[in-house]
Amino acid sequence: MVNDLSLDTINALAALILLADFMLVASSRMRSLTRIFALQSLAMGGLAAVVAFETGVGHIYVVAVLSIALKAVVIPRFIDYTADKIQVNREVEPLVKIPGSLLICAAITMLAYFVTEPIMELGTAITSNCLAISFATVLIGMFMMVSRRKAITEVVGLLVVENGVFLAAVSTTYSMPMVVELGVFFDIFVGVIIMGVFAFRINRTFETVDSTVLRRLKD
Amino acid sequence: MFVDQLFLALIVLPFAGAILAATLNGHAKTSVRIAFTVSSLSSLLGLAVAFLIFLDGEMRWELPFSSPFGPLSFYLDTLAAFFLGTISVVTFAVSVYSFGYANHYEGKYPVGLLGAMFNIFFSSMVMVVSSSNAILFLIMWETMSLSSFFLVIFEHRQEGTVGSGLFYLIMTHIGTAAIGMGLLLMYVNSGSFDLSSFPGAAQGMSDVLRSAVFLLWLVGFGAKAGIVPLHVWLPMAHPAAPSNVSALMSAVMVKTAIYMLIRCCFGLLGVQDTWWGITVLAIGCVSALLGVMYALIESDIKRMLAFSTVENVGIMLIALGVAMVFGSYGLKELAGLALIACLMHVLSHALFKSLLFMGAGSVLLATHTKDMERLGGLAKRMPYTGAMFLIGALSASAIPPLSGFISEWLIFQAMLQSFSIPDAMVKILITVALGTLAITGALAAAAFLKVFGITFLARPRSRDADEAREVPKSMLLGMGLMAALCVLAGVLSFAILPGLDQVSAPLAGASIADSLVNGIEIVPTVGEFSQASPPLIAVIILAVMGLVLTLSQAYGGRRKVVRADTWDCGTPLTARTEYSGRGFSNPINRMFSWVYRPIRTFRATRSPSPYIRTEMRYTSTTQPVFEKYLYGPTEAGVRWAAKKISVIQTGSIQTYLGYIFVVLVLLLVALRL
Repeated sequence: MVNDLSLDTINALAALILLADFMLVASSRMRSLTRIFALQSLAMGGLAAVVAFETGVGHIYVVAVLSIALKAVVIPRFIDYTADKIQVNREVEPLVKIPGSLLICAAITMLAYFVTEPIMELGTAITSNCLAISFATVLIGMFMMVSRRKAITEVVGLLVVENGVFLAAVSTTYSMPMVVELGVFFDIFVGVIIMGVFAFRINRTFETVDSTVLRRLKD
Repeated sequence: MFVDQLFLALIVLPFAGAILAATLNGHAKTSVRIAFTVSSLSSLLGLAVAFLIFLDGEMRWELPFSSPFGPLSFYLDTLAAFFLGTISVVTFAVSVYSFGYANHYEGKYPVGLLGAMFNIFFSSMVMVVSSSNAILFLIMWETMSLSSFFLVIFEHRQEGTVGSGLFYLIMTHIGTAAIGMGLLLMYVNSGSFDLSSFPGAAQGMSDVLRSAVFLLWLVGFGAKAGIVPLHVWLPMAHPAAPSNVSALMSAVMVKTAIYMLIRCCFGLLGVQDTWWGITVLAIGCVSALLGVMYALIESDIKRMLAFSTVENVGIMLIALGVAMVFGSYGLKELAGLALIACLMHVLSHALFKSLLFMGAGSVLLATHTKDMERLGGLAKRMPYTGAMFLIGALSASAIPPLSGFISEWLIFQAMLQSFSIPDAMVKILITVALGTLAITGALAAAAFLKVFGITFLARPRSRDADEAREVPKSMLLGMGLMAALCVLAGVLSFAILPGLDQVSAPLAGASIADSLVNGIEIVPTVGEFSQASPPLIAVIILAVMGLVLTLSQAYGGRRKVVRADTWDCGTPLTARTEYSGRGFSNPINRMFSWVYRPIRTFRATRSPSPYIRTEMRYTSTTQPVFEKYLYGPTEAGVRWAAKKISVIQTGSIQTYLGYIFVVLVLLLVALRL
């Protein structure tokens, strides 16, 4: 029998993740962006830990620890470091203004619930409620990538997408096999480093990290 | 089984040879020797496999690993074995020829790579005819197209070569796209990529779908075979390729498309509507007629031979179309006869066209030009090449008793039997086709008369032609082999036809070997209609020739030989007073000017007296009708569409991500609803 306390914790953490999504979209400063992402990752790690405790699957603990260490500590610091280094200004520069973005995100969240409804009805996993939130997180992450101008915000968007995928994996199948999980972490880590390097390069070449400037590269 | 091991060797050997030749690219002589030794050995292997299958029946063999598309299997029945044999014979002769021919590239182009590609090309053709898995087939078909593309652009420093190659690449890919669609449609209905599951699936398909698959395949394989109007790449790619490669491409690669058409229409799709056969027949007629007409006015030897290939593919399609029409009326024996005629023409065309392309290569090697108007007088300077080119030209003109005659005669016989068809309209159509075939034959004879006469007879029209020397022995050997086979395949056709019956019987549903061959006579079915005996014809021709010679010697008396100048009307006889190729074909050019649409200009410099003109200029160019009216507008349309579509390529990452995002959301909603 599922512990009520665990279930509540899981739902609370999932709500926190969703809240973080909205905060990400609402924030207009680079600094707060990385902090909120760290918070979201922390919640994600906590959720994984609770799932591990509840299901007794050992390797989810490892995943949880790795998740917190990497995504809540190392990567946000690295992004901050990169941002400082290339002295990007602190504005986020959204293509879609923040109120509009928030409305769109609300619509996305509803869509996520609408889409996952039949699956959640079938769901027997303790975490099945999280599926809708994971969908919403993936879509909001993508929306961030589409609607924000700077290369670094794109990176954060991608990381949010990854968080959503991770949440989906944890919530539906109690996480992927260990090897896959490690592979994904490694991928993300290397990916972020590469994107950091690219941000340097782009900055040096075009004297901006505004990715709209890259349109000069077409044809 | 023994055949399996031979077949395995046939797959492994050319690849090993290709790798070895490519690695030894630096040592030109060695790599040429290795590459063409390997290709001739493997073609002998191919011939052995084909023979064993004719003796023992079919063979099935699988690659020892699985794939997502089902087992990668090979299947050889007599039809595949016949084409395997044809490919192997031609490749053997061309390999022997290449020992000498490839040497002249030494130091100019990487010959090792030529040898490597040559082996891959051969191997891919072998696998095209033998693969029994749709995906494996497509892979091999692509390998064949790509390796031949690389061979076409081998002389890439020659102007225009790369352009011709790219045009070929585009055309062949349009064909592959159509073929792929057809195969996928079949896969959807059969649930398996194995070709052997397709006939069953075809039974269950609706008429419309089956016809759609048929038309897709007709276009796809037609592009490779060179049917009008998809033939444009042939006269571009064949002249651009090295001559040994054009021999292979024209003589056998084009035949793989005919093979697949036969396989698809009779084997895979099975049930046939009459209009399928009529369509193939009509395309065949147009290709044959236009092909030979363009061949006739062409003055580049290799382009002329390429157009002649278009013509001969047309003739094969006429035979195939007639076979399909007969098949649709359940006239199995007549379908068998037409199919045998088609196969015989495949064989004889492979023999004489490879011979002619090798001959053209020898001329090119000796004189450095392919332009007939700069040649002439080569028969004296290159007697062996000349003699063998003549045999090829005679065979191509369907002169008895050579192989070309037998096949065309059989096609005529099959078509004449169309009175057994109950539908009057179809009878009339076949009669019209018969007329087309007849005029094609006449024009083909004229075209080959021109190419042989202008190139080899009279006096040289340029210094290059004057200084021509006979080509190396290996090249003569390769050509000699083909010339001998041209004669033998004609004279001994009574022995070959029962073999072809073994090929056609399972497809047409009836064996006619017993009635077809009577001793050394060939009797095209249905009673006392007609018969011919090739060996007898040969004997009679030789006897008549001997008789004429003896009689003229006996009754004409001894002639005194007087050596003096020819009466020249006061102007010295130079090469400029000779009959030119353009002059030879001009009457036909005028007669069919509505086809050729020639642009003629005539300019004379003014002079005091109208009777004495100091300078006159005459130019006549043929318009490339298909390029101008079909390919030009198509290309312009594609460019226009591309420009319109390129609006969505904004260059901004956000837009691209936006596309993905929108599609993702739409898909999610669509799946939910």
